[in-house]
Amino acid sequence: MRESNVALNASTKPSVTSPSPTTDSNRHSLSLGALARGLLIYAAMALIIVVMVLPFLWMLSTSLKPQAYILDTTPDLIPNPLSLESYTQLRERIDLARVFFNSTFVAVVGTIGQVILSAMAGFAFARMSWHGRNVVFTLYLATLMIPAVVLIIPQFILVKSLGWVNTYPALIVPGLFSAFGTFLLRQALLTLPIDFEEAALIDGANPFTIFWRITLPLVQPAIATLVIFSFMGWWNAYLFPLFVARQESVMTLPVALAALQGGPRALTEWNMVMAGGILAILPILLVYLLAQRWFVAGVVSSGIKG
Amino acid sequence: MSYRFAKRIALLGGALALLSASFIGTIVAQEETTLRYFTFSAAPDYLEELDTIIAGFEEENPSVTIEVETAPFADYFTLLQADVVSGDAPDVFELNYENFVAYAANDTLLNIDDLVTGDAPYYPRAVEAFQYQGEQLALPATFSTVLLYYNADLFDQADIEYPTIEWTWEDARAAAEAIRALGDDVYGLYSPVQFYEFYKKAAQNGDCAFFNAEMTESTINSPACVETVELMVSFLNEGLMPTAADLSGVSDSELFLSGNLGMLVTGIWMFGAFEEATFNWDIQIEPAINQHAHHFFANGVAVSATTDAPEAAAAWAEYLTASETAATVRVEAGWELPALDQPEYFADYLAITPPANRAAVFMALESPVTPPVIERQTEMQDTIGALLTQVVDGELTAQEALDQAKTELDALIQ
Amino acid sequence: MASLRGVNKYLWVGVFLLPSLVGLIVFTILPIVSSLWYSLHDWNLLSAPEWIGTGNYIELLNDPSFWTALRTTVLIIGLYLPLAFVMGLGLALFLNARVRGMVWVRTATFLPVVASWVVVSLIWKWLFNPQYGLINIALGAVGIEGPAWLFQPESAIVAMVITSLWKDVGYVALIYLGGLQTISPTYYEAAQIDGANRWQLLRRITLPLLTPTMFFIVITLLINYFQVFEQIYLMPMRDSAADRRVEVIVTEVVKNAFSYNRMGYASALSWVLFAIIFAITFLQLRLQKRWVYDEGV
Repeated sequence: MRESNVALNASTKPSVTSPSPTTDSNRHSLSLGALARGLLIYAAMALIIVVMVLPFLWMLSTSLKPQAYILDTTPDLIPNPLSLESYTQLRERIDLARVFFNSTFVAVVGTIGQVILSAMAGFAFARMSWHGRNVVFTLYLATLMIPAVVLIIPQFILVKSLGWVNTYPALIVPGLFSAFGTFLLRQALLTLPIDFEEAALIDGANPFTIFWRITLPLVQPAIATLVIFSFMGWWNAYLFPLFVARQESVMTLPVALAALQGGPRALTEWNMVMAGGILAILPILLVYLLAQRWFVAGVVSSGIKG
Repeated sequence: MSYRFAKRIALLGGALALLSASFIGTIVAQEETTLRYFTFSAAPDYLEELDTIIAGFEEENPSVTIEVETAPFADYFTLLQADVVSGDAPDVFELNYENFVAYAANDTLLNIDDLVTGDAPYYPRAVEAFQYQGEQLALPATFSTVLLYYNADLFDQADIEYPTIEWTWEDARAAAEAIRALGDDVYGLYSPVQFYEFYKKAAQNGDCAFFNAEMTESTINSPACVETVELMVSFLNEGLMPTAADLSGVSDSELFLSGNLGMLVTGIWMFGAFEEATFNWDIQIEPAINQHAHHFFANGVAVSATTDAPEAAAAWAEYLTASETAATVRVEAGWELPALDQPEYFADYLAITPPANRAAVFMALESPVTPPVIERQTEMQDTIGALLTQVVDGELTAQEALDQAKTELDALIQ
Repeated sequence: MASLRGVNKYLWVGVFLLPSLVGLIVFTILPIVSSLWYSLHDWNLLSAPEWIGTGNYIELLNDPSFWTALRTTVLIIGLYLPLAFVMGLGLALFLNARVRGMVWVRTATFLPVVASWVVVSLIWKWLFNPQYGLINIALGAVGIEGPAWLFQPESAIVAMVITSLWKDVGYVALIYLGGLQTISPTYYEAAQIDGANRWQLLRRITLPLLTPTMFFIVITLLINYFQVFEQIYLMPMRDSAADRRVEVIVTEVVKNAFSYNRMGYASALSWVLFAIIFAITFLQLRLQKRWVYDEGV
């Protein structure tokens, strides 16, 4: 099944056949069976959307209720009266603009760094054979097996001794070296046929060129996936930023929002908490939608013709 | 090919440059004296008030600047410990009474006996609370107490007398029964069965103590203590008080605010939240068992043992806790009460309604009780809390639970 | 790559690997070694650590709450993992279909993934409310009396597994999708030319080529869920039997590290957990040669 003699500049003719076996080619015309299946598929799609999204609609609706109405235990989805007071209150309590900027900056720089480092390391594991490779890979995996909570104190001491507390490096640098991304990309690379790279090697290319021009474009879907997860990890990170970024000039969103929940000695303003939650979701959703396009595009451009 | 290569390297370099640029911005110059003050009570609602107090202090002490760091209460002590561990504790920080002992016992607090003026008018009880082995290791900043709140409208509806200072818990029980009869979703009272309420009711009983005087053994399973627990649980068993399942996620304060609870035992910090109530409510000192006892919660301010500027730090601590500026700002904003024996500061406080009976706040100070504190404090609280929940759920009798508590507490004070 | 030899090869390995490895050593491995060091001490964070050798480990192996926590953790994994694995695959195959509007379904499944557990737990605590939560109301409508969900330990565990599945299935599907999309269409084209039908495509091409992805998913889900924390910490109703009795290993770690100030003991707990996870993962790595297809060297 392997193709040989593949041109390096692969043609971008998209493959018509979907790689998934759930859609047929156009063999059946509009028979009753096909119609029923189509309806079933659309019903399933609708059900999934409802199950996934409805809880968030409830959250949105709570955020649009004025404080006094939250204790109303009637499950009505459309708030009546509608009020934006939770959002304005939110703006008054925390410097939303600054906190949003901090989170965005940290997440963007962190994601770029993490993806690059993971891709390179994954390449070293998946495409190069060297003494001790498996041991080092096991070491990488092992770092994922310790609960992060117990590393907080040593990491905090380290970061403090570097003088990074309440600065961006403290938020970004320690997290750049997660083994998760390396693992993900190594697996993705293992799925790729090695032919193109070997061909390029014969043609005299050096490993970095091969990495950049051939390998990476072929694993764009996996990279897109990693971008999404990496961004999400940075965006939602709470525990370590809590320790190292306590001033509003560098504080990130989850930490700022957590401070809103009041202690045992106050009434939590749930509408404001929900408003914060909604705002926290939107940027990641945006990243996801953008990365999605890359996802699909990656499929299209990986069409290869012999 | 090498051009492309260079472009990629440049991209990498760009990312790294971005990283280091943010690094450069972190080099901060130190000038004169800067004090770091770490607090949990100021955020999120009282930062402006804190700034006012700071402004007052900095005016009197122009060479000192105060930098404030805040954290929510739930995370505060974890963060503080991390700072202490890394050798860079804040110069001045807030402590509550339960944690004071642990910090004091581990030499993390500076003895400020000689650094303070000594004539600040603190409540004697409050000052003592923050002494350890004869040394003054923190200054009392605020106090709060717990009282009986009642829904006057519900009392009117049930045609019964409002709580008085003579009340015992049996009087409260009778009132609760009358109010409970008003409807299925109206409850008589709420006084949670947990650690804090337990030691206070124990003091109201008078004969129940968690430990013996020398702190060598636990006496929590004495008959008096069993009696106390049975009293606390009786309200639940008689249906006068909602169970966790009845509340179904609604907090006791929310239940009170919704007008469905006759009496609630909670702290004076809820005055602000209950302002929104659509019914008439007021407060009274807590009913007695054999005598009165009220929670005395105090927050203190301590100076770190490792600070570079002990005089400035102690001066700030004293200003924050005892100056007229600080006291008046606090009282006006409802930001807890300064632990100062100066009635003139509280004149305005007493005039605000609701609640009308604010004098009860100070009456409660006549019968104060502080929690039993040991080094392994949280474990003790968790253990007792878990056993009390088992009594509530009917899994253990009060005697069985307290016998088990004694065994575990004895182990904790080894 | 077979033609790279000698010094040059190690130079290239260094170029690709060292940036990641050095950072990992400094920021992760060194703290990990520190935590091992602390596990041999009694440390309350406020004063200097006190050497007690294996004291923490002995205490923990004799501590019933450790074993209960371990049992609960394994139970949760046993319920969650197979379901997540299969549901994620099914969802990914479904999402991969070229049907109009599928993009919206994909986005919808990802919404729970991006929300934080704080928010998700709030929503689902309300949904699982025994009295006015949607779930018991729906069950009541078909004549079933819903359980006390987050108030009782057993039902709380089921509730948390359901919530975890809701939250994670989009994540698992996304990873599968990444793997699916990377499968070169030439394989399918060639097979279809040979007359293969849909099921054969699935069984003979898709699934085998997905095995590296499956391996990744099994390993990461195992590693993650042995360390499950946020749901267990956030969801059980406060002061209920569930709150009191449902503990997993990492909630014990957090409790000991940050509530009880027993950093040494907490570190020891983490290392025992690590040993368990490591053993299981090592086993998986060994077994992978039996079932994972790869094109590596």
